[in-house]
Amino acid sequence: MNSNSILEMINVNKSFPGVKALQNVNLIVHQNEIVGLVGENGAGKSTLMKIIIGIYEMDKGKMKLYGKDVKLSNSKMAIQMGVGMVFQEGSLIPNLSVAENLFLGHENRFKRYGLISISKVMEEAKKQLNRVGLNIDPKTYIYNLSQAYQQMVEVARLLWLSNIYHVENPLLILDEPTTVLTSKEIEQLFNILREIKNDASIIFISHRIEEIFELSDRIVVLRDGKNAANMKASDTNIHQVENLIIGRGLSKEYYNESEQKEPEDEVLLKVNGLEKKGSFRPISFLVKKGEILSLVGVVGSGKEDICKCIFGIMKPDDGIISIEGKEVKINKPEDAVKAGIGYVPINRREEGLALQMDVMSNITLVMLKKIIRNGLINSQVEKEKALYWIKKCSILTPSLKTICKNLSGGNQQKVVLVKWLAVNVKIMILNHPTRGVDVGAKEEFYKILRFLALEGMAIILLSDRLEEDIGLCNRMIIMKDGNVTKELTCSVNNKPTPVDIISYIV
Amino acid sequence: MKSKKGTSLILLIESILKKIGNLLSGLPAIYTSLFLLLALVIVFFTGNKNFLSLYNIKAISNSSIILLAVGAGQCFVILSGGIDLSVGGIMSLVSIVYIIGLEKFGLLSFPLTLIIGCAAGLLNGILYTKLRIPSFICTLGTGGIFVSISYLLSPAPLSVPYRLFKYIDVVNGSVIGIKNIWFIALIILGLYFILQNYTYFGRTIYAIGSNEKMCWISGINVDRSKIFAFVFSGFGSAIAGIILASTLYSGYASLGDIYVLNSIAVVVIGGTALTGGVGGILNTFVGALIMGVIRNGLLLAGVDVYQQQVFIGLLIIVAVTLTFDKSKVSVIK
Repeated sequence: MNSNSILEMINVNKSFPGVKALQNVNLIVHQNEIVGLVGENGAGKSTLMKIIIGIYEMDKGKMKLYGKDVKLSNSKMAIQMGVGMVFQEGSLIPNLSVAENLFLGHENRFKRYGLISISKVMEEAKKQLNRVGLNIDPKTYIYNLSQAYQQMVEVARLLWLSNIYHVENPLLILDEPTTVLTSKEIEQLFNILREIKNDASIIFISHRIEEIFELSDRIVVLRDGKNAANMKASDTNIHQVENLIIGRGLSKEYYNESEQKEPEDEVLLKVNGLEKKGSFRPISFLVKKGEILSLVGVVGSGKEDICKCIFGIMKPDDGIISIEGKEVKINKPEDAVKAGIGYVPINRREEGLALQMDVMSNITLVMLKKIIRNGLINSQVEKEKALYWIKKCSILTPSLKTICKNLSGGNQQKVVLVKWLAVNVKIMILNHPTRGVDVGAKEEFYKILRFLALEGMAIILLSDRLEEDIGLCNRMIIMKDGNVTKELTCSVNNKPTPVDIISYIV
Repeated sequence: MKSKKGTSLILLIESILKKIGNLLSGLPAIYTSLFLLLALVIVFFTGNKNFLSLYNIKAISNSSIILLAVGAGQCFVILSGGIDLSVGGIMSLVSIVYIIGLEKFGLLSFPLTLIIGCAAGLLNGILYTKLRIPSFICTLGTGGIFVSISYLLSPAPLSVPYRLFKYIDVVNGSVIGIKNIWFIALIILGLYFILQNYTYFGRTIYAIGSNEKMCWISGINVDRSKIFAFVFSGFGSAIAGIILASTLYSGYASLGDIYVLNSIAVVVIGGTALTGGVGGILNTFVGALIMGVIRNGLLLAGVDVYQQQVFIGLLIIVAVTLTFDKSKVSVIK
């Protein structure tokens, strides 16, 4: 590894009204190095990155690029100096082609006789795509690309930009790129990043610590806006990093396994012969009162579509759903809600929250119908209910009137969950509930799930991590390509290991 | 040289607006629009002391109340993320039905016209939700249809004959010195305020405007709330049509034309986002007052009708720049 430093952030301070987001934070990135940046939500990662690419201005501190003091006042300047960021949400324009996106704003470089030469553009686009290992037609529209490919196109664009600005060792920042990717896509992305490392440096942010270890040369931990650690990846281990992130030892009982109880005999949900052609083959299963059932499988195994069919988001081709022994017709989510099912979607920002509305309105949205007297909302009761649930699930919010957008990811996710708890749903479908949630908040979430199961709720869980599935569930159904490959019980003292399961998944 | 001067002027204005905006940021949009209203009143009052005479205040309230009625309905539709371009058509149709109704049924004409307004809104809502077409297009179409029906009912303007003036006093008259339309304004304001803040429907239109997909997944009957928003828009337009026809003692098919854009303007000036989910009826109330004050103030200042639109246009742009709460809306369309 070359020890030339590309980026140096020295004693960076940044405050927002009421919050010290960063206090004397240091960060160094060397040439040809991948730095894994980890920390809980709100630890200051995003703020630091936004300072690096010129979106925020630091209050105090120094920034050095290639050994020279710089002051960036916008992201255009950052890009001209070879610093670019791939955002979580993506910043490509979906209704333009790959080539158009790659060279957006720089079309003049491809002029011939005063007009843009399409053939020149395509030629260059192919070249740039090859550089990141993408073998796709540059004329493809972005909306037809998978998220993984979109991210690679963004990487290609940043690399190309640093080329035209004659930057030798550009710095790429990837903010939780893997959250939206399948494991196969992640592998692809990592291979490309390792390739790119030969003439670039990378800051890689992720909540999945295994990935950080897989990819990074060095790991930097931020906690509460301060440096918590800076170490070579080879000198540390996952457990140590996890502890550094939350600043206290993780409880031995991460998934509260000792609280796991055998489910009661009463069957709450019965699925019989549910089928969606092209997605999953007929499947039948039961979920009992107080049981956590995990559906395990990769993206595309059909597990998500099963949940969508149960909740009425998707229309199954066939099958009968019964709740508490009674057959129910579910054509749309409204029917499922009436039948007593709740659903925490995979994508809380797009499907789970009204981000512009306050915490109380989000919490009471579903239960509101029940506290209407003479056509009017009983404000007093509404407030009491909201406060009750905020306290019960320890949602951190300055007030009931705080706009949901301003809550951290973990607290937003709790709001999504609480919305259903407030109407006493009997069955809960959790579609990747801990995605994008930091370690500390995850732990709290697990506690809540255990508690709900104890109270007799039937829970269907879809998770990103096998350990999470194993740790939490009473029973798991493993799926592959739309078929059930195995059903396993996971009683407290008889939990399978990931190795036992993986062969049924892939 | 000239163009340089032009751009530097725009930059100067931009920086001034930004500074004012910075001073006002952090406050809800409603305070910004109140501040703007106050500033306008002071400017017009220093220009002409008669601006705050009782007579003139009555004149301002008259036009503001019509804007409030039509804007209140529009506000609900915009909160839910849609737009209603048929409000003008409904006002025109209502003005004609109102006068024909007065002749045939007397006082029963009032409930009749209100029902027609609601029915027109219901039609909008059903077409919009069941055909799944943009509300912009849907109401553009129905608005034209309403205007056409108005022409079919009465190609020429209708006037209210003298013997029917006693009915029209429901709108134009006064009780213990207070004009009846002020009571009407109070009722509209109260009704829409309660609907917005204390009913399930009100809460859902905010939620739908904020995140429609989430609402659907949360089991909310999205279509029903959207349809209701249009019904209340039709209702507000009907009231506006009745008041306008009463003050003019006539009804005609082009009566509502200017109110399509004006209704949107008062909603937006008040600080309600066109993207939905943010704002509300109180904002629209202030927006209606601002619009009424601008129009009247310009008239008093002797600005001729054709030039007025220039000032109104500029003020809309300034007002929206100041009141639009950019912190809550990430993409401005």
